[in-house]
Amino acid sequence: MNRINKNVILALLTLTSSAFLLFQLYYYKHYLSAKNGAGLSKSKGSRIGFDSIQWRAVKKFIMLTSSQNVPVFLIDPLILELINKNLEQLKNTSHGSTSECNFFCVPRDFTAFALQYHLWKNEEGWFRIAENMGFQCLKIESKDPRLDGIDSLSGTEIPLHYICKLATHAIHVVVFHERSGNYLWHGHLRLKGHMDRKFVPFRKLQFGRYPGAFDRPELQQVTVDGLEVLIPKDPMHFLEEIPHSRFIECRYKEARAFFQQYLDDSTVEAVTFRKSAKELLQLAAKTLKQLGVRFWLSSGTCLGWYRQCSIIPYSKDVDLGIFIQDYRSNIISAFQDAGLPLKHKFGKVEDSLELSFQGKDDVKLDIFFFYEETDHMWNGGTQAKTGKKFKVPVTSKQ
Amino acid sequence: MDDWKASPLAKPFGARKKRSWYLTWKYKLTNQRALRRFCQTGAVLFLLVTVIVNIKLILDTRRAISEANEDLEPEQDYDEALGRLEPPRRRGGGPRRVLDVEVYSSRSKVYVAVDGTTVLEDEAREQGRGIHVIVLNQATGHVMAKRVFDTYSPHEDEAMVLFLNMVAPGRVLICTVKDEGSFHLKDTAKALLRSLGSQAGPALGWRDTWAFVGRKGGPVLGEKHSKSPALSSWGDPVLLKTDVPLSSAEEAECHWADTELNRRRRRFCSKVEGYGSVCSCKDPTPIEFSPDPLPDNKVLNVPVAVIAGNRPNYLYRMLRSLLSAQGVSPQMITVFIDGYYEEPMDVVALFGLRGIQHTPISIKNARVSQHYKASLTATFNLFPEAKFAVVLEEDLDIAVDFFSFLSQSIHLLEEDDSLYCISAWNDQGYEHTAEDPALLYRVETMPGLGWVLRRSLYKEELEPKWPTPEKLWDWDMWMRMPEQRRGRECIIPDVSRSYHFGIVGLNMNGYFHEAYFKKHKFNTVPGVQLRNVDSLKKDAYEVEVHRLLSEAEVLDHSKNPCEDSFLPDTEGHTYVAFIRMEKDDDFTTWTQLAKCLRIWDLDVRGNHRGLWRLFRKKNHFLVVGVPASPYSVKKPPSITPIFLEPPPKEEGAPGAAEQT
Repeated sequence: MNRINKNVILALLTLTSSAFLLFQLYYYKHYLSAKNGAGLSKSKGSRIGFDSIQWRAVKKFIMLTSSQNVPVFLIDPLILELINKNLEQLKNTSHGSTSECNFFCVPRDFTAFALQYHLWKNEEGWFRIAENMGFQCLKIESKDPRLDGIDSLSGTEIPLHYICKLATHAIHVVVFHERSGNYLWHGHLRLKGHMDRKFVPFRKLQFGRYPGAFDRPELQQVTVDGLEVLIPKDPMHFLEEIPHSRFIECRYKEARAFFQQYLDDSTVEAVTFRKSAKELLQLAAKTLKQLGVRFWLSSGTCLGWYRQCSIIPYSKDVDLGIFIQDYRSNIISAFQDAGLPLKHKFGKVEDSLELSFQGKDDVKLDIFFFYEETDHMWNGGTQAKTGKKFKVPVTSKQ
Repeated sequence: MDDWKASPLAKPFGARKKRSWYLTWKYKLTNQRALRRFCQTGAVLFLLVTVIVNIKLILDTRRAISEANEDLEPEQDYDEALGRLEPPRRRGGGPRRVLDVEVYSSRSKVYVAVDGTTVLEDEAREQGRGIHVIVLNQATGHVMAKRVFDTYSPHEDEAMVLFLNMVAPGRVLICTVKDEGSFHLKDTAKALLRSLGSQAGPALGWRDTWAFVGRKGGPVLGEKHSKSPALSSWGDPVLLKTDVPLSSAEEAECHWADTELNRRRRRFCSKVEGYGSVCSCKDPTPIEFSPDPLPDNKVLNVPVAVIAGNRPNYLYRMLRSLLSAQGVSPQMITVFIDGYYEEPMDVVALFGLRGIQHTPISIKNARVSQHYKASLTATFNLFPEAKFAVVLEEDLDIAVDFFSFLSQSIHLLEEDDSLYCISAWNDQGYEHTAEDPALLYRVETMPGLGWVLRRSLYKEELEPKWPTPEKLWDWDMWMRMPEQRRGRECIIPDVSRSYHFGIVGLNMNGYFHEAYFKKHKFNTVPGVQLRNVDSLKKDAYEVEVHRLLSEAEVLDHSKNPCEDSFLPDTEGHTYVAFIRMEKDDDFTTWTQLAKCLRIWDLDVRGNHRGLWRLFRKKNHFLVVGVPASPYSVKKPPSITPIFLEPPPKEEGAPGAAEQT
């Protein structure tokens, strides 16, 4: 009897526990499905695709930046292009009424944002908060190129890039620094020895392969897929800048070595010439930019930049190069309107064109037109074989 | 048929059979313990699984909740995460846990070596007399502070007491005497040495040699002493060799709450000593000040360049006052350190500011001047949009309304081309000659010591022709030269917004500081509204000066201007005196007057077209140089300008001493 009782109790216990277990399992399952389905069920039918990891990562990132006052704006080429196409539509739809995730849910590995460093007030602590939100972050720092031009200064390193990964999607924060000459600069993303090379597919990054320079963009706020983001006011202009944005730092070290050997000319005449040459260069750059004409430093001006990071004081003029296919008939009048009358015109549009404008203080602006052949390029009658492609170098921006 | 057998038997058989099966089962159950055990175990396992599933459920729910909350409260678990991020501390596993320390004391040489590395060596003649003190970190053996107190001279022992009291308990203290260290070693200092456990220190006599190693608040680790046999001779050199056991890192650190600020503090305090309560374990002094923001702050985005050398204690004091000033924006501050000194960099890092080091170029004044140039160039490079830069030095206290003062006046630099700078310093603003914090002047001399530089002035004029490294010029003297200044003037306040506390410096010593800087007036009132700022513009200022001169009462010129009674005992009056000044550069009488007024007399400062403005006994006091000043027209014909003759012995003495 005793034993039977014991067994009965045992059986009962087993029964209760299995019943309890079943209940637990049922509840657990129910709970899990409720949690997973939360996003979907809540907005069933009205919001499609908002559960994608891309959208969630961007949402978290935007929440982070707005709560921490991190001055970022969207520069992702893929998304900016989509936004640019639908800009009017985006502006018309009111907040939160979007029913479909059209932009941030597009499959991709990265979303790129720019961070305006000079507006950033509380740099400290931001990183850890991001990590606490579930982001895995990588910070890439380097020395400040703005100190390179000066003898022997070494300072605190500046942040160049942040990559914050949430599951399979990463936010690439490109840090934009102000440089003299009213443009924004970002650095080269160079991995240091101890960094994890497989952290994200670095090769697929849109920014950071080279240092870059951009015009300081005006910004506007738009609501994209229910998220408020800042984007450049003219997304098209920004997109057009990207392929030409590679920035080449002047070789200050070599320039210093050059000056050690040949001494800098700091007579009053040299100083004044440099000043007016730079002003002329600025004016020319502004004028050509308004016309949308690509140009580069040429001849002596280019040599001055390359050899001594400055204007050669005895060169007495400023030289620019332009592809002949970019020639516009209104170039001359545009320069005239800018206060630079035409002095000489050599050659014809079909052959060896060279324009010479008179700047103030007797400084001349020479524009050489370059003619592309299959295997070489030439200008001004003298064939200048140049294997290299030119890129607008730093001095033109200063 | 064939059911006869079955029917009667069927039931009993079946029943019996059934019963037997049940019995067998029961029998088996009751008898086979193994099976019973099995069942019991099964039940227990079931229970266990239930419990595990339960726990998992609870954990999962919690995680889900925390995930849901995290979006709202990103700081949650912040400190926990930080704890995990701290690099793992080395626990006792270092190669050695003992330092061997050598300390040498003698008449002409002292040195201290820690583990074979010389950390102090002084055998220079006529230098380094007194007690040298070195503080080592008890966990790492790093040198945290190095000081010398010339206790042969008065008051140095007080500084030593102050310093030793600031050192955290547990640190390793090393003392050694060079030449003489007892003459002005007073009882307080001796009592302190006794409390450290020293035997010989409190009894230190004339020209004794002494070497001491001990832990602050702990045991003495070694001491040697040699008495001087006679007044005219020194004690024998002593060499103390001792082992110092290292303690664990945990013991050497305070237990501050783990915050970003305290992480900076910990890094700082484990490296250096001698900064007082900033490293105190209990109730450390704050390193973040968050002063009130300034409404309508016009200088919020003006970069601030702090020019520093290797005077980390000065820099510490300076940055404290700067970061406490209303309207400061720390991210605009850059500290430029002339040389690869660690300690100033540590101070900069303590406050979370940007620090830039500069390889020294050239020597003496030229080194300072090159450092200035590099710093200014770098400042305008780092802030390419900035139209102005504030230039400060490491030995200045900054007034609480420094930025408020600049915010109210900076538009003048934009609107008035005839201005050279705005400076926070009034060269003639002493306790007894400055009165009105709301009053501004225009002066022809550039005072420096906390000033605003216009970008265009620097980039277009100064930078291209800045003195080259081989020229041993003072940058400020160079900037004051007429070729640079070109007739432009600076705006200064009557009551200075900076205070020069530096006693050690290239052009500075204790006597000089006492005579010319100590009694300088320094504004401590927050939020002063400057009066009539636009009247400081070129033409408006002339109108203002003429108005002042017209209403000024002419003083009795028969009295001696050096006498106190030269000015009546009134308040709030305006008085004018006329002194002789033959040409624009004739300052003979002014210099004598400045001397007896006990203001800056080493060169001419604070003048505006032959006019000086200051306060005497709460009265505005104007001095006009006749006939050189255009304001001479205001002189009544009956008045003969005062002439003071320079004392003959001063003839030929160097007139100009530079201000550092």
